[in-house]
Amino acid sequence: MPNRVPLEDGYLVFSEDGIRLLGSYSPVADVTFFPTRKRCPITEESVQTVELSREGTLHAWSFIHMPRMGSMDIDPGGGYAVGQIDLPEGVRVQTRIDGRPEDLEIGMPMRLEADVVATDEDGTEYCGFKFVPKSRPSPGSTP
Amino acid sequence: MNREVYVIGVGMHLFTKGYVPLRDMYFTAGVDALEDAGLKFRDIGCLYNGYIGGGMMEGVGYAKDLGMTGLPVVHVENASATGSSAFREAVWAVSGGAADVAMAMGFDDMARSGMPRRKPPPGRNKAVPGFESILLPAGFFAMWAVRRMHEAGTTVETFAAIAAKNWNHARHNPMAQRRADHEITVEEVLAAPMVAYPHTAMMACASGAGAACAIVATREWAERLAGGRPLVKVVASQLQSEVYSEGHVFLGAVVGPASSTERTAQLAYEEAGLGPEDLSLVHVHDAFPIEELMYYELLGICAPGEGDRLVHDGDTAIGGRIPFSTDGGLTARGHPGGPTGLAQVWDATRQLRGEQGPFQVHDARNALVHMMGAGSVCVIHILQRG
Repeated sequence: MPNRVPLEDGYLVFSEDGIRLLGSYSPVADVTFFPTRKRCPITEESVQTVELSREGTLHAWSFIHMPRMGSMDIDPGGGYAVGQIDLPEGVRVQTRIDGRPEDLEIGMPMRLEADVVATDEDGTEYCGFKFVPKSRPSPGSTP
Repeated sequence: MNREVYVIGVGMHLFTKGYVPLRDMYFTAGVDALEDAGLKFRDIGCLYNGYIGGGMMEGVGYAKDLGMTGLPVVHVENASATGSSAFREAVWAVSGGAADVAMAMGFDDMARSGMPRRKPPPGRNKAVPGFESILLPAGFFAMWAVRRMHEAGTTVETFAAIAAKNWNHARHNPMAQRRADHEITVEEVLAAPMVAYPHTAMMACASGAGAACAIVATREWAERLAGGRPLVKVVASQLQSEVYSEGHVFLGAVVGPASSTERTAQLAYEEAGLGPEDLSLVHVHDAFPIEELMYYELLGICAPGEGDRLVHDGDTAIGGRIPFSTDGGLTARGHPGGPTGLAQVWDATRQLRGEQGPFQVHDARNALVHMMGAGSVCVIHILQRG
């Protein structure tokens, strides 16, 4: 298993059972936020860091026929998909997703995966995250 | 507002994809506004420079081309709502008594705008993009569009019709970036390359460079300089940042919840003492046609879900019940960044004075100008003739 490092601290963790997003739970407001907040923006009270569910549903999507931010090249396949995923905690995550327009449908179940953005000379993988259709086999699972 | 505030001069440099030094654009727009007002630069009490790209010193440096009077000069930045925010600062400076005459200047080249550069954090030896750069604005608004199609059955033809209308409005505007030599059709807009489903390149706003300037003043100054022209009064000036709402998106978000527009509009209508039915024309942040469609409803021009019908009935074209984006909007007049909100003020002011010739709205009395700024803020001003 290569050494995996999040793009930035505080957004996600790698545990034994895979990648998890980090959010903040405000007990007073009973609201969960992603990404983490310094404190609850509604009550100004303190929040608790929580690991969020790995599965949610697709609220909205699009397919982008342009280079990604910071790049001059269009992805192989003519672009990439983006989506908003609703998690059971009441959190909406805006992110890269996998899929062609014909595969994507509002309301479909989606699953979190690591998204390797860059690899260092020593093999360290810098990871963001993405959601993929839940029906797709997990990486490493037997077909 | 404590004191009444009037727009007494507006000026622009053409929005363009071509190369013109920003210093030249700044000077052209500034002199144009001063001449429109009938003022010397020495009459200006304070100056707010709005620009997104570039760096420190730029605006205050360019201002020296207009004059060196020692006046207070401040840089304002609020992403796409930068020009609108600079305008608001000028309005409040006059309203609050800090100055009798204030200038708001916007200039930019969208090509140089972007997310702040960051150095790699300690312990990382590779500069990698941060999580905030996950999404392009094109993706964000495209998701609004896909969601709208899902919920209300809106078709891509409706989006294309809004874009075609704005392209055709711009054909008559000498300051517009996209001036087509023929009537743009829905079919042509749909046939353009796809940028972010369901938006094609002809639906995406024209990003380029440009400058726009507005001068505001007290009633006394406005009356003295009117020269027989109608006065243009600022009857509402509102700016709101985000309030948490269900399904709130924080990461990679571009403009926050759509309800920001509804909330800011409500405050503006209350301040102006009028409602959407009193408006003669409207400018919005139509970076993509889904936005203009949603703002019909969020600004209260029509009931929720009825925006599509407005488009098909031609209500929002010049000559219709309530024309939107009369100068071409972000779609075709263009969206360089800093000056965009001030270009809206340029058109709204000239519309209220009856000076827009081939794209004049008949008997324009009240104009609403709206911009969203990523991050995010919503800015709304209402200008009134008289």
